[in-house]
Amino acid sequence: GKLLVVPMDGSHWFTMQMVVEKLLPKGHEVVVVVPEVSWQLGKPLNFTVKTYSVSHTQEDLNREFKFFIDSQWKTQQESGVLPLLTSPAQGFFELLFSHCRSLFKDKKLVEYLKQSSFDAVFLDPFDVCGLTVAKYFSLPSVVFSRGIFCHYLEEGSQCPSPPSYVPRPILKLTDTMTFKERVWNLLSYMGEHAFCPSFFKTATDIASEVLQTPVTMTDLFSPVSVWLLRTDFTLELPRPVMPNVIHIGGINCHQRKPVSKEFEAYVNASGEHGIVVFSLGSMVSEIPEKKAMEIAEALGRIPQTLLWRYTGTRPSNLAKNTILVKWLPQNDLLGHPKARAFITHSGSHGIYEGICNGVPMVMMPLFGDQMDNAKRMETRGAGVTLNVLEMTADDLENALKTVINNKSYKENIMRLSSLHKDRPIEPLDLAVFWVEYVMRHKGAPHLRPAAHDLTWYQYHSLDVIGFLLAIVLTVVFIVYKSCAYGCRKCFGGKGRVKKSHKSKTH
Amino acid sequence: GKLLVIPIDGSHWLSMLGVIQQLQQKGHEVVVIAPEASIHIKEGSFYTMRKYPVPFQNENVTAAFVELGRSVFDQDPFLLRVVKTYNKVKRDSSMLLSGCSHLLHNAEFMASLEQSHFDALLTDPFLPCGSIVAQYLSLPAVYFLNALPCSLDLEATQCPAPLSYVPKSLSSNTDRMNFLQRVKNMIIALTENFLCRVVYSPYGSLATEILQKEVTVKDLLSPASIWLMRNDFVKDYPRPIMPNMVFIGGINCLQKKALSQEFEAYVNASGEHGIVVFSLGSMVSEIPEKKAMEIAEALGRIPQTVLWRYTGTRPSNLAKNTILVKWLPQNDLLGHPKARAFITHSGSHGIYEGICNGVPMVMMPLFGDQMDNAKRMETRGAGVTLNVLEMTADDLENALKTVINNKSYKENIMRLSSLHKDRPIEPLDLAVFWVEYVMRHKGAPHLRPAAHDLTWYQYHSLDVIGFLLAIVLTVVFIVYKSCAYGCRKCFGGKGRVKKSHKSKTH
Repeated sequence: GKLLVVPMDGSHWFTMQMVVEKLLPKGHEVVVVVPEVSWQLGKPLNFTVKTYSVSHTQEDLNREFKFFIDSQWKTQQESGVLPLLTSPAQGFFELLFSHCRSLFKDKKLVEYLKQSSFDAVFLDPFDVCGLTVAKYFSLPSVVFSRGIFCHYLEEGSQCPSPPSYVPRPILKLTDTMTFKERVWNLLSYMGEHAFCPSFFKTATDIASEVLQTPVTMTDLFSPVSVWLLRTDFTLELPRPVMPNVIHIGGINCHQRKPVSKEFEAYVNASGEHGIVVFSLGSMVSEIPEKKAMEIAEALGRIPQTLLWRYTGTRPSNLAKNTILVKWLPQNDLLGHPKARAFITHSGSHGIYEGICNGVPMVMMPLFGDQMDNAKRMETRGAGVTLNVLEMTADDLENALKTVINNKSYKENIMRLSSLHKDRPIEPLDLAVFWVEYVMRHKGAPHLRPAAHDLTWYQYHSLDVIGFLLAIVLTVVFIVYKSCAYGCRKCFGGKGRVKKSHKSKTH
Repeated sequence: GKLLVIPIDGSHWLSMLGVIQQLQQKGHEVVVIAPEASIHIKEGSFYTMRKYPVPFQNENVTAAFVELGRSVFDQDPFLLRVVKTYNKVKRDSSMLLSGCSHLLHNAEFMASLEQSHFDALLTDPFLPCGSIVAQYLSLPAVYFLNALPCSLDLEATQCPAPLSYVPKSLSSNTDRMNFLQRVKNMIIALTENFLCRVVYSPYGSLATEILQKEVTVKDLLSPASIWLMRNDFVKDYPRPIMPNMVFIGGINCLQKKALSQEFEAYVNASGEHGIVVFSLGSMVSEIPEKKAMEIAEALGRIPQTVLWRYTGTRPSNLAKNTILVKWLPQNDLLGHPKARAFITHSGSHGIYEGICNGVPMVMMPLFGDQMDNAKRMETRGAGVTLNVLEMTADDLENALKTVINNKSYKENIMRLSSLHKDRPIEPLDLAVFWVEYVMRHKGAPHLRPAAHDLTWYQYHSLDVIGFLLAIVLTVVFIVYKSCAYGCRKCFGGKGRVKKSHKSKTH
């Protein structure tokens, strides 16, 4: 079959690429559409890549992203989607959304895509463009994502999500909430309905322009055939799902390869204390100097050898046990029996590598779903969360010593690991299966709930309830009136006096 | 590991057998317990059978089944039918309840179960006797079921099912309902609990006595770790599901075996017209003579050879093309390329065998979920439903000719078949995996939604909504009052006059 792929830049692409590469040997023809300017998408690939020119440069992209990250460092205390929506760093998202306009400006590319008659679109919905492409070419689509921003999973798949026990994203809540937390959760849910459309305004404007009809985010999401979500219920809290929502969390946790000689030497030199792996992900390249020094100080106080992936300036107080590297084979190191702890920004890739290899974590969430990931791991007793803005060297030292020396952390993460890895089918195979399924059957209409065709009041049966209430009230009213009439007839004047007396007291 | 199995007699047991056999082959020790009076549950080579004494005989059970089969052909007025059914259900269920009570009060037997130290319990929760045993022995339970009456399964799993597009069983609604059908759906939802109480609430009292704590039927059912549902969204309408529900519809559609010489001969003799397979399931042994003659007449009018599984008296007008047999290899016959149609009572086994082998169906639903199965297949254009009480010979003839000669029926069932069989993992393997999973991990608490710990008003956030409404109203009230006060101050007497005027009109 022929598959069109509309990916998203950054770490998102790492796992999506794994699925695409697994599809190639099965004889599918794959075409990936990428913007000319990107971080990860420009790398040479062994399938057809179509690029389109964009109106900004690599520097623009880097600058906007840095601005976004910096604003996250500042406003991190506030939780919930709302601060993110109103953050001054919207420029980064505007830039992402604008890709779609550039894509459709490239008439030659659009014509090529039209002629190619693809079987399906495999897309990352983060920048919305994939959804617009799917709708424009009327192709069945498979979504691949960690989660869906705002309430669009609920609306797009018609998945119920009772705010009483399903926490809204980025609120750092669990599924057991106090009354106050539930109030906050419901308000946040309402806030999403109110503010998300304006956050995505640029994206929906472009989509409306391209499709030549006004569309909302829900219109774009609701035709999706299958949703592949990179999460599972060892990390996620149990909640209602829909038959076309497939969980493939842990897809990136592959077999450990032996580490290179350089790292092997570090690991062997660590002795009985073992190593601690430290990475804040590929998106954070530099930490403010003061913070970096505090971190370095704390790291120097533990007996383990530290492997710190850091591309910024070397902190002057770096201790002997800390080794600064530009890159590290994270999964392979975590899989090494000498790995004692993992300091992570708790991005979903890192968290799943930690779970998969059973390494307790010290988590410094920075933005987005990282807060939630950290909260989930903490409530399961598999890690300690630190507030990266407020933490001192002592905090970090204590956190590290706790997860390393307190046996319960290791036990809990090992239990999660065994639950996570005990599955009837590997997530990568499952993802490949469902992409092929949608290609084979041109969608999955039999998994599409009829709820899509109902209005909101129909969905909640408000019209039916109103109708039944009206009947009940009418019957009660008639019965009451006839009784009253009957009473009056039977008891004559006496009844009338009573009645008038009663109505007076009212 | 060691697995305890508490099945329910009848066709339910037959599909469980495959799972038990597979588990035994994987080296697990399986113990099946059943009442001494059982029809289908017999000794088997791959499990240990332990029977417990009950206050009724084999004959009583057989009689109950025979009567159930016979009663569906009774031509009674609607109300009398309801009363009769109610009485019958009450009688049969109190018989089965007494069996359960005998098991639970059999101290010696229960003690021996306790000493066996099972890892998990596999049971059919249609009658929640196994659920009581699970709680008594503190075993994690795996449920194996089709669906429970009165939406008990939805309630016990905390699975949302919006009444606006999830049809109630026995409502003969589809997932696309008009206003009146939705009203009907709502009314059934409001009343069904009442109808189920007669069967299920005695189990609550029995459990309260045995477990020595107050439990309801929902409390009994809800601790189940995994719900193996014999459903598939090729047949059922898509709706919300929960993470601990595993769908294994089509588990009974095993690999085909070659036909015996007897049936091979029948099939070969059928020539180009092929065969029609006719079975009303193992529960119906006899059809009233008049009805049987009408059926026989209709069957005689089609050119196909009809293989009719029937144990009753031979209708006198049976045509040459109709062969009466006491038993037939249903799945193998349906899998034969010469199978043209399938006349079925639309029990879930038969329906899935029909889907799996791609044979269009003529359905004569008799009771229970069979009505719903027939409705679903009909809306998908894969079969024709007949009312077994009202149908004439002409109706049956026309229905058969339609599904055989109208190509769309064959196309639709073939499409359903290809969707149904296109799955990442076979349902039998999936069922075996999840039973083993629960045995390995002693349950699956991470799949249990927090909704179980909420009251109904908390679940629907009514307390939070009330609280927020109260705040809003208070604010509005205060603002209104202060405005009114301000106005009075500003405009003096004039304002006061207006106000008092206004309050008079109220």
